[in-house]
Amino acid sequence: MNIVSIFIQTLIGGIGIGSLYALVALGYSMIYRSMGLVNFAHGQIFMIGTYFGIIWYRGMVLGLQLPYAVAFILAILLNMVLGLILERIFRPLANYDLMLMLLGTIGLGYVLENMAVIIWGAEGFAVNNPLGNTPIMISGVAVLPWTLLLIGVSALLMLGLNVFLAKAKIGKAMRAAAADRETASAMGIPVNGTNALTFAIGAGLAAAAGMLAAPIVYVNPAMGAAVGLKGFAAFILGGAGSIPGAIVGGLVFGVLEAVSAGFISSAYTKGIAFVIMIVVLMIRPGGIIGEVTVDKV
Amino acid sequence: MKNQSSNMKRIGLGIAALVLLGFPLIASTRYQVHIVNMAGLYILMSLGINLAMGYCGQINLALGAFMAMGAYTAALLNTRMGVPIWINMPLGMILAGITGALIALPMLKVKSHYLALVTIGLAETINIIIVNETWFTEGPLGISGIKMPELFGIPIDGAERFYYLVLICVVVGYLAARQIMNHHTGRAFIAIRDSDVAARAMGINVAKYQIMANAICGVYCGVAGVLYAHMTTYISPDIFEFKTALFVLTMTMIGGMGSLAGSVVGGLALPLTLEYFRAFKSWQLVGFGLAIMLVVLFFPGGVIGIARRLEQVRGLRLPWARKPEKPAQTEASHVP
Amino acid sequence: MFLEIEHLTMRFGGVVAVNDVSMSIQRGEIHGLIGPNGSGKTTIFNVVSGYYKATGGKVSLEGKPVTGLAAHQITALGFARTFQNLRLFTSMTVLDNVRVAMGQHARAGVWGEILNTRAVQREEKHFTDRALELLRLLNIAEYAHERATNLPYGHQRRVEIARALATDPKIVLLDEPAAGLNEVETTQLRETLLKIRDSGITIFLVEHDMKLVMGVCEQITVLDYGKKIAEGPSAQVSRDPVVIEAYLGKEEDL
Repeated sequence: MNIVSIFIQTLIGGIGIGSLYALVALGYSMIYRSMGLVNFAHGQIFMIGTYFGIIWYRGMVLGLQLPYAVAFILAILLNMVLGLILERIFRPLANYDLMLMLLGTIGLGYVLENMAVIIWGAEGFAVNNPLGNTPIMISGVAVLPWTLLLIGVSALLMLGLNVFLAKAKIGKAMRAAAADRETASAMGIPVNGTNALTFAIGAGLAAAAGMLAAPIVYVNPAMGAAVGLKGFAAFILGGAGSIPGAIVGGLVFGVLEAVSAGFISSAYTKGIAFVIMIVVLMIRPGGIIGEVTVDKV
Repeated sequence: MKNQSSNMKRIGLGIAALVLLGFPLIASTRYQVHIVNMAGLYILMSLGINLAMGYCGQINLALGAFMAMGAYTAALLNTRMGVPIWINMPLGMILAGITGALIALPMLKVKSHYLALVTIGLAETINIIIVNETWFTEGPLGISGIKMPELFGIPIDGAERFYYLVLICVVVGYLAARQIMNHHTGRAFIAIRDSDVAARAMGINVAKYQIMANAICGVYCGVAGVLYAHMTTYISPDIFEFKTALFVLTMTMIGGMGSLAGSVVGGLALPLTLEYFRAFKSWQLVGFGLAIMLVVLFFPGGVIGIARRLEQVRGLRLPWARKPEKPAQTEASHVP
Repeated sequence: MFLEIEHLTMRFGGVVAVNDVSMSIQRGEIHGLIGPNGSGKTTIFNVVSGYYKATGGKVSLEGKPVTGLAAHQITALGFARTFQNLRLFTSMTVLDNVRVAMGQHARAGVWGEILNTRAVQREEKHFTDRALELLRLLNIAEYAHERATNLPYGHQRRVEIARALATDPKIVLLDEPAAGLNEVETTQLRETLLKIRDSGITIFLVEHDMKLVMGVCEQITVLDYGKKIAEGPSAQVSRDPVVIEAYLGKEEDL
């Protein structure tokens, strides 16, 4: 195998992981945009979403073993309901300062993670891959079919989200509420309603990411913390609150990780990604796509 | 009236001092003393983050890395060269302080949640280095065989004796923090938090004080790290992960950000309460999470905040809630 | 010249907020800077006090260049300022608001503070005494231990002035100190300004209250659309047809 195909292989792997980060980062971004809330429990929401789907696939509820696609849809729907509930709880938090948000949502993270341990056990499990573990060869490049599916479905979800925000009436209302809460509410847009929907969509995207990740990761209650941190990194890296920023941030972070693992040092994968991220933020303190705010006197 | 209250205060302080000095004698198990020693280390870290974050307004989630600097300095010097705690302590403080100052550099440019991420990233990077540079740090297995200290031939071995060392550090640390806050450095911290724009116009070198606040925070965590290494005689990288920073942050918030007494209250209350509920395993942490959410949503000022509010509303005087220099007059009295 | 501003230009993107303005201020005078809203007055303050980096031109105090220094360094050179929208340290007492401004003279480092040495105690006492003196000058000494934000608006403005004076300046830049004050308070402010001037501190004043400006300023510079349109003794400027034109043309702004 030549270096070029190894590189392409690494790149595809990175894009795959990066798409997952992007889906998680989108949740951070949408909630931040509409409520000004940085939700540090989003990783745990991702983890719960994964369980919400996998329990149907693995027959953990009433012995029902549903097809993966059905479990995928159920995961999204159940997690959206969870999102609606959580939005109601955290509504007051949006007006607090960052430290309180940080702490309140971290508290929620503890609750979710340990509830998962209580209900589903701390050990976790591997989920068998519905598309199998044999890579297919495309002109000398070996790829898991699941990776391709993952990239495809993520791309569709992101495209769908953008179309929804741009075209649908509710989507436009959500954008308006995010841009200017007061004006939007004066124009008769139910801001609390759009916020709830935003939170629900964020949670739904996280569940989708979780179901796409499940066959290639080890599902356990602690997975939320790690993915949450990377999703947060992607969200910040792209520029907090920017939809394209979250996507770009996620992909950049995923590819950075994969490339540094494959070509530099697998032990330092996480470290290199973080160092690059810090450097980027030092150069562009508002993220890759975020606007740089001017200090007003 | 004033005399009476200061007498009361003296009596209260006396009782507190007796309890603190006699605690190892009244504790029923050595494990209880160990838990209180750990709480002492948390109080030190909480004092540090309170100065940097509570007073100076600098988000910093790299506390675990600072603690690791202190702990690894002590562990490596002690196990490889037999250096005692009395030399490791100042060295650990210096190294952790330098780390704090270095982590403050991005703060001059990056703000708010971007900054939160940068500090997490720097702490993670330090942790990854510790895990991977096995030749130097023993990697994930950690370092064992650290000696407990000895003073003039008397071994400070066992939690009961170590307790007094921790107690001295906490008392000195608390008093030092109080002195800092009572002087210009402390006022400059608060000024920067309240309005860095105005602080600059008052001739305050904002960058200098931000770096100083984080260096001081580093020193406090470094002390905790050195103590931890010599107390438990074994350290491993997982203790210095992000979750330690969260834990310290949580206890500081529960006690009260921007209040030194809050650090003491939170630093004692949280570890002890969690210990009490340890038998409940995961439910314990669910309760912990719910408690955090309740505090944040309903009592954002923490325990000290509640005490202060009681003071204002009822005229109650709680000795551990530090009052403003003069009791607050009612606001209405001088509105024109 | 005491304060010299030469060919100062400040551009924000395509907008020219200050356009080639030159002016100078004599030691010990009260110098007014007036002009319709948006004419660039506050921008000049922000450049002089180091918050904005000038696009062109330079500023010097007693012949020493100021341009390019950081705000706190400029304060150390002898500039002090207040802000148009109050920027008090909200969680501090009035006394601490003033004391913190004296910190650049603090000789003790953090170690001295922790050990609370004799020298530190003396310094602290000096800070407190001087702060109270300034609070008395502004008639707000009785509120010394109040939280600054608990004070009525007019008093908060005085805290800002006391705080500026605490930095021991050679020149103070006051940005609309009379905004939001009633008639009585404005009269008191006028007296305070004269007292400050008499203590040897030069005052550079941006103000919309024309009665106050004409009453206290020896010299006035007038800006319009970022350009200097007039300059001179107040009596002369107030009769200047160009100035009247500039103001009449935008009466709604006054």
